[in-house]
Amino acid sequence: MPDAQQAAAGILSDPGHDGPGYDPGPGVMTRLGRLVPGGAARALGRLGLLAAALAAWQYLPGSEGRFWISDPISIGSVLLGWIADGTLLRNILATLEVMTAGYAVGCVCGIGLGLLFGLVRPLDTVLSPFVFAAYSLPKIALIPLLIILYGIGFESKFVLVTLVVSFMLFSSTVDGIRNIDRDLVQALRLMGATQDEILRKVLLPAIRPWIFTSMRIAVNTAFSNTLLAELLAANSGIGFLIITYSNQYDAAGTYAAVLVLVAVSVVLTELLSQVERYMSV
Amino acid sequence: MQLADNLRQVGDPAADRPAADPPFKVEITGLTHSFATRGKVTDALSAVDLAVREREFVALVGPSGCGKTTVLNCVAGLLRPTRGTVNYDGKPVTALNTRIGYLSQKDTLLPWRTAADNIRIAMELKCRPTSRAAANAKVAAMIDLVGLKGFERHYPAELSGGMRKRVALARTLIYEPEALLLDEPFGALDAQLRLIMLDQLQTLTTIRRITVLFVTHDLGEAISLADRVVVFSARPGRIRVIRDVPIPRPRDIFRVRFDPRFARLHEELWDELKDEVVKGTDI
Repeated sequence: MPDAQQAAAGILSDPGHDGPGYDPGPGVMTRLGRLVPGGAARALGRLGLLAAALAAWQYLPGSEGRFWISDPISIGSVLLGWIADGTLLRNILATLEVMTAGYAVGCVCGIGLGLLFGLVRPLDTVLSPFVFAAYSLPKIALIPLLIILYGIGFESKFVLVTLVVSFMLFSSTVDGIRNIDRDLVQALRLMGATQDEILRKVLLPAIRPWIFTSMRIAVNTAFSNTLLAELLAANSGIGFLIITYSNQYDAAGTYAAVLVLVAVSVVLTELLSQVERYMSV
Repeated sequence: MQLADNLRQVGDPAADRPAADPPFKVEITGLTHSFATRGKVTDALSAVDLAVREREFVALVGPSGCGKTTVLNCVAGLLRPTRGTVNYDGKPVTALNTRIGYLSQKDTLLPWRTAADNIRIAMELKCRPTSRAAANAKVAAMIDLVGLKGFERHYPAELSGGMRKRVALARTLIYEPEALLLDEPFGALDAQLRLIMLDQLQTLTTIRRITVLFVTHDLGEAISLADRVVVFSARPGRIRVIRDVPIPRPRDIFRVRFDPRFARLHEELWDELKDEVVKGTDI
């Protein structure tokens, strides 16, 4: 989708700035880059640093604190145990399942309702106080209620994530529609465009960058809300692992679970930036 | 000029048909427009009468804020007159007037479309069924006409103000509306390019037999192009004087400035305008 990015560029770029090809010239970053050694050396340095930190954690004296801070070897063996008995995969999948299902349904509902609200003026005028009240409520506070309604399984977390994501997309869709330049619409109308053509040629392309931006941010929001829900009450998921081991004062298990979380979020972030790169080429 | 030749090739073969006294295209009678800001009612226009015949080129000049744009907005159906009537083809304008092409002062290009795609947009609408090949040919001709060859794939944000203006002009001209409302279309262009554009505008509107209402703050531009020049007073805008330009059209845009008739009219109208400009700037 090349023109989506162009649209964003068109809207975000400084309108007063005329000629194409703005080049900031060699900046601070490039000059710093030259001081840092090349690829292999850099990777080696990082690995060495990591190994040193782990060794220090493992072998530095301080046996009285071990119960609280654990050590890398115990954490590693917990992780291996989880991989062997399937705990790891099951819980990662549980988290991802809630997250992706809530995200997908939330995006569809949010954009759909946003279009409805943005385009049907009376709906907006009548319902806006309620929507505002619902919007300003931190959705995480609904977890106890959702647990009463749906139990501690998939549904309560799914509903929470759906709610959070759909509110995000709802509000950015409505904002996108409100920010459409009325003069663009009028210009097309004067050319004889029908309502339907205005929708397809002005409205949808104009709100596309708003929706894309919001969808990108919503990935992180969906992930963190899934985790929060799992931490509060759940029977599976990465957050569930963390809170379970923490409740048992099992430092190695807690660290292992947090490590899993780090790995998953790194993969997720990387995936997201790959998708973005693909979409913007 | 080569560009003008290109245009003549695609021109209407009936263009040379002799016509008896053309009927009125736009009739404005007693047009008054007032607007309220912070409880204060301001008259932008006061009792304006103006009738424009088919194929006539009328230029509106006046100090800024005198309501010239309001006249265009009323003809386009974007504004309702507070008092008075605006007729188009003998019928009052009550809704958006889709038979005109309006090049407003603000550029309304779609930022997510390239220059070529912006120019093309009118040909994509259902009301103007055009084959892809025909649309492409027209777009190419328009790009050539407004001198934007090589910038077809640029987005509006990558074009200069003058270039955007030309894209907007091409976008309006491509569907050959029967009447054109132009609001200071060439303000952002440099002097040479402006002359070229004026020449092209004259050629095109003559060939296509388009009625033109042309708002400008440049008296020279108005006299070079128009059959009649209307000078507005400062706010509330009234018509101060209307003069026929006694030079037959089409004119040599590049040399008309040296015509003694041009100089005489310019001086006369400048005297009218100058008082108003002074009045209009008492901020």
